[in-house]
Amino acid sequence: MKQELLITVNGDEHHLLVDTRRTLLDVLRDDLGLTGTKNGCGAGECGACTVLLDGEPVNSCLTLAHEAAGRDVLTIEGLSSGGVLHPVQQAFVSQGAIQCGFCTPGMVMTTKALLDRNPDPTREEILAGLRGNLCRCTGYVKIVEAVEVAQCLLAEEELV
Amino acid sequence: MSTCIIGKGLPRVDAVPKVTGAAQYTVDLKMPGLLVGKILRSPHAHARIKSIDTSAAEQLKGVLAVITAKDVPDGLFSFYQWLADKNILCGETVRYIGDEVAAVAAVDDDTAEEAVSLIKVDYELLPAVFDVHAALEPGAPLVHDDKESNSTWSVERLFGDPDKALAECDFVVEGTYVTHAQAHTCLETSNCIAKWDEKDRLTIWTNAQAPHTQRQEVARILGIPRRNVRVINSYMGGGFGSKLVMDVKLPIASVLSRLTGRPVRIVNTRSEEFTTGKTRYPYTMSLKTGAMKDGRIVVRDLTVIGDAGAYHDKGPATINFSSMMFGTLYDVPNIRFQAQMVYTNKEMGTAFRGFGNPQLTFATESQLDELAHKMGIDPLDLRLRNSNCSMGTTSCGAEICGCAMTECMEAASEAIEWSQKKARPSDGTLRGVGLANMVHTGGGGRFYGYNSAEAFIKLSDEGTVTLITSALDMGQGSHTTMAQIAAEELGVSLSDINVLSHDTELTPYDLGSWGSRATFMDGNAVQAAARDARAALAEAAAEMLEADPADIVIEESKVWVKGSSEKHDLFEIVDHAVNAHGIPISGTGQFVDKLPEGYTIPTAFAKNIPCFSFGTQAVEVEVDPETGQVRVLRVVAAHETGTTINQTMSEGQIEGSIAQGIGFALMERLVRQEGKVQNDRFLDYKIPNIGDMPEIETILVESVGTKGPFGAKGIGEPGLVPTAPAIANAVFDAIGVRFHELPITRDMVLEALKETR
Amino acid sequence: MKPFEYKRPSSLEEACTMLAAQDGRVKALAGGTDLLVQMKQGGLELDALVSLRDVPGLDALHLEEDGSLIMGSATPLGAIENSPDVRRAFPGIAEAASFVGSMQVRSRATVGGNLCNAAPSADTAPILIACGSTAVITDGQADRTVLLEDFFSGPGQTVLGPGELLRAIVVPPVPETGFAKYCKSFRSAMDCCTVGVAVYSDFVPGSAVVRDLRLALGAVAPTPIRARAAEAMLVGQELDEALTDRASLEAVADALPISDLRASAAYRKVLVEVLSRRALTAARAWAERGAVA
Repeated sequence: MKQELLITVNGDEHHLLVDTRRTLLDVLRDDLGLTGTKNGCGAGECGACTVLLDGEPVNSCLTLAHEAAGRDVLTIEGLSSGGVLHPVQQAFVSQGAIQCGFCTPGMVMTTKALLDRNPDPTREEILAGLRGNLCRCTGYVKIVEAVEVAQCLLAEEELV
Repeated sequence: MSTCIIGKGLPRVDAVPKVTGAAQYTVDLKMPGLLVGKILRSPHAHARIKSIDTSAAEQLKGVLAVITAKDVPDGLFSFYQWLADKNILCGETVRYIGDEVAAVAAVDDDTAEEAVSLIKVDYELLPAVFDVHAALEPGAPLVHDDKESNSTWSVERLFGDPDKALAECDFVVEGTYVTHAQAHTCLETSNCIAKWDEKDRLTIWTNAQAPHTQRQEVARILGIPRRNVRVINSYMGGGFGSKLVMDVKLPIASVLSRLTGRPVRIVNTRSEEFTTGKTRYPYTMSLKTGAMKDGRIVVRDLTVIGDAGAYHDKGPATINFSSMMFGTLYDVPNIRFQAQMVYTNKEMGTAFRGFGNPQLTFATESQLDELAHKMGIDPLDLRLRNSNCSMGTTSCGAEICGCAMTECMEAASEAIEWSQKKARPSDGTLRGVGLANMVHTGGGGRFYGYNSAEAFIKLSDEGTVTLITSALDMGQGSHTTMAQIAAEELGVSLSDINVLSHDTELTPYDLGSWGSRATFMDGNAVQAAARDARAALAEAAAEMLEADPADIVIEESKVWVKGSSEKHDLFEIVDHAVNAHGIPISGTGQFVDKLPEGYTIPTAFAKNIPCFSFGTQAVEVEVDPETGQVRVLRVVAAHETGTTINQTMSEGQIEGSIAQGIGFALMERLVRQEGKVQNDRFLDYKIPNIGDMPEIETILVESVGTKGPFGAKGIGEPGLVPTAPAIANAVFDAIGVRFHELPITRDMVLEALKETR
Repeated sequence: MKPFEYKRPSSLEEACTMLAAQDGRVKALAGGTDLLVQMKQGGLELDALVSLRDVPGLDALHLEEDGSLIMGSATPLGAIENSPDVRRAFPGIAEAASFVGSMQVRSRATVGGNLCNAAPSADTAPILIACGSTAVITDGQADRTVLLEDFFSGPGQTVLGPGELLRAIVVPPVPETGFAKYCKSFRSAMDCCTVGVAVYSDFVPGSAVVRDLRLALGAVAPTPIRARAAEAMLVGQELDEALTDRASLEAVADALPISDLRASAAYRKVLVEVLSRRALTAARAWAERGAVA
């Protein structure tokens, strides 16, 4: 059963006809071609599909597309602007927090949400904030470092 | 040696596309007319297929093809073709829950799923066997009824006289150690697209660690010429061994594509990945270690029963490799290794980071602590007394060139404050420290009867260097490593280099990214190619600058004549050479790992390994006496790199390995009931998440004597090998209980604590 | 997934009418973090989903003048966890909410969804039961209330009838002499609870004498339950170490755990004792610190 869906993704408005069963992840990847958001499990257990819905981090695999109607979605493709990486992205690059990269978009979006909400998290708060994002490559050491560096970069940006 | 690029913790060359979402993985590819393929899998652990009715599925709107065994070539497949035992689709017998029975191609996911559910299969149930010991009983159900028994592969290695040594040594410990099935859980599940073109050539896009050998495997099973198969990789979401041997979804997608004339994609669901994606081989190991009063280990005697699952896949190769590592660690003069792989009606095993060595090292390094305990000496001292040393050949024939095992032990034990912590009086908390050593290959192996690699480089007038290598990057960072080696050798910057490794049409034949071999093997080929290109550049520059090629200096993207102060931009020279003089600048390089004298595959044993890598991990744990929860507080990992090519990435390899090692030690096990996997999702199959990780200190120990590029050796696997025994040893130190089985779970610990009270 | 109708009513009345139709093959969709998994992987087939997204008032979260807490059933757990009011007046509830899943899950998952899915392991149930919460149920026309401890009727089952909806949870005010805490056991840093124990205790001012106490257990019975024998042992007594130990052991008597992937029944019983002791010890420490006064 298809229904009309009006949705804003990375600032672009889209008017689509979407089956009621489709998740936000399906629409992003299949209808809009935004394949930066990954499907790692389809059950909200790995975090690879994390996007921001009206600024809140959500598992797009567990969000029906029509539940996002009329809302603002930010995906990894919308994070950097004009070829300049977002400070969270810069930190992941500089700290070597990326290996295979499949979890990276979700990690980055979750980190952004975490730091938006709490610009000065403790180590404990970082661990709690990212516990829904699995990574099988890095052992997380450099991911924690990247979040801490991003925290500093964002704080510096605030000062400017 | 002074280097500009080698040794630096430079960001990965693929970091930006990965962090912006631009990197396209196979699962992200789109193409016109793409169909969705889905596989109907056996719900039974062992059954005969009486009939299959596909008519309802065929009639469903949107279904373009439905195939069963009669539609696919009936040959059998395995990694070693002479041990072939697996059909593309089962025609007569299914041998595990998940075995492939039929497949469909449809216009979308939901239609394909519905079509699969409409296929009716009539099964006659057969008795099944799930446990290796039961499978070895006389009269046990045969997993393959054309074979005489379920024992399917055996290895025996003997060096010295173990019986005599066991009779004569001062101390002997023995025990049985058990490990279970661990899943790779790559974040990107296994997937492929198959498409035939008008020239009858098959292209497969897939996430493969070894595209060239998979290309051969696809051709072999489909019965088509190799030249008609092309394998293309994209960015890969992890490998860890799981994507080394061809999965039958490749030929299945190929047949579906052939029938429909359209590209067909098959993607594992996460549940399929857990239940059919293959696992680490479970081992049951009975081990004896004997030592003299002075601490010399004189004998080791091991019997392994490996659980193959329903098919061979990498089982024989895995157990063979285990024997080589067993023979090499500590250079024990009297060695016996007896092993067999046993069929059971379960998901098969395959290669998994460490390749049989983490299981083995759990046994050997746990038992070494038991021996130290029995002898009343410090486990660190016992290890120091038996440390492998540089240069020379061990009793089993392993040629050790470059070994820093002692340095690794010293660095790790110092960083964990070993002697202070061992001497620490009890303060009521159940804390303990433990350590374990390891040896692993640092350069793949000569198991195919050869070990070689090739690379090509071209310098372009527009100012780029294209490096064509087969060092496939599944996430471990080999593109960056190769680019660093080429940049260093060529005297250009890292950002000048584009690495291509993704297409069998383009890249030289190669055995693939496994066995910690890419840095050592492909790195050597890349270095040779870069040298060749550099010589071509020097010659062109010499002609232009009217100098002797020997006097041309190339450094940091500049070219000049020795003694002259006039420095030219390197790419201006290239531009000039190409566009004004018509001199192309390129290079090729090969690295052929020379076989030792008298090498034959059956007798080579540890002579298969071109380069060994040693390391030590020391861990501190705390045990909650009320809940039995083991918490790893800190891991110090000292590993040899030979020469570190990229500090950050080498640390990353070790840190990621340790996470998998902690999972292996404390969390991860596929749980089955009557052969059915119960924990087929991340909710129930726990892998470490960010909150489960301890503090990790990585110490990269450089050592000399290796023939790798700039003296480097592979670091992809070693970090996982000693983690589990180091944790088990630390748990023993904390609570005085020795665990012989992994994973060490909360209830096991609690039960054991109850018994000691 | 089989096709289903997606409906998005804009009033309670409309929502309840939709929920009453279709022979029970219809469910309310709040955050969807459990429901979608059941539909994608658990074989749950429905004819329709009724989205609560646009129903006004269901995500209300506020403190009443008397200090009680009203949580609309569709309030996301993240909003509860981060609400300054909840953190100040009901820290135990804020903490229990933070234990559920991940930050992403809690952006979507709602308190009503956590309760209506009626998993025995639901993290919010024990603490809300211990705090004496009430479930406000509506049929679109009128409300009825039940004590939350009576809301569950079995694994995945509640007392909600066709066309009924959980509208809100009301948590009575915690007096200055009252303390509430939830203790959870898990295998890894993100996990369903293996066992959860929540305590609410009201003390005689200036002492550790228990005036009123509820001890609620999760994941050890078909529904979240109260450990009544242990409660009876504690009320009116001074909570000291020996009594804590005895009551914790007694709590095990009410537990009827099963063995599953997360733990064996025997291990769960051990955890009931351990976590009860930890919860009661925290309450005792709070009372002894003079937090009551």
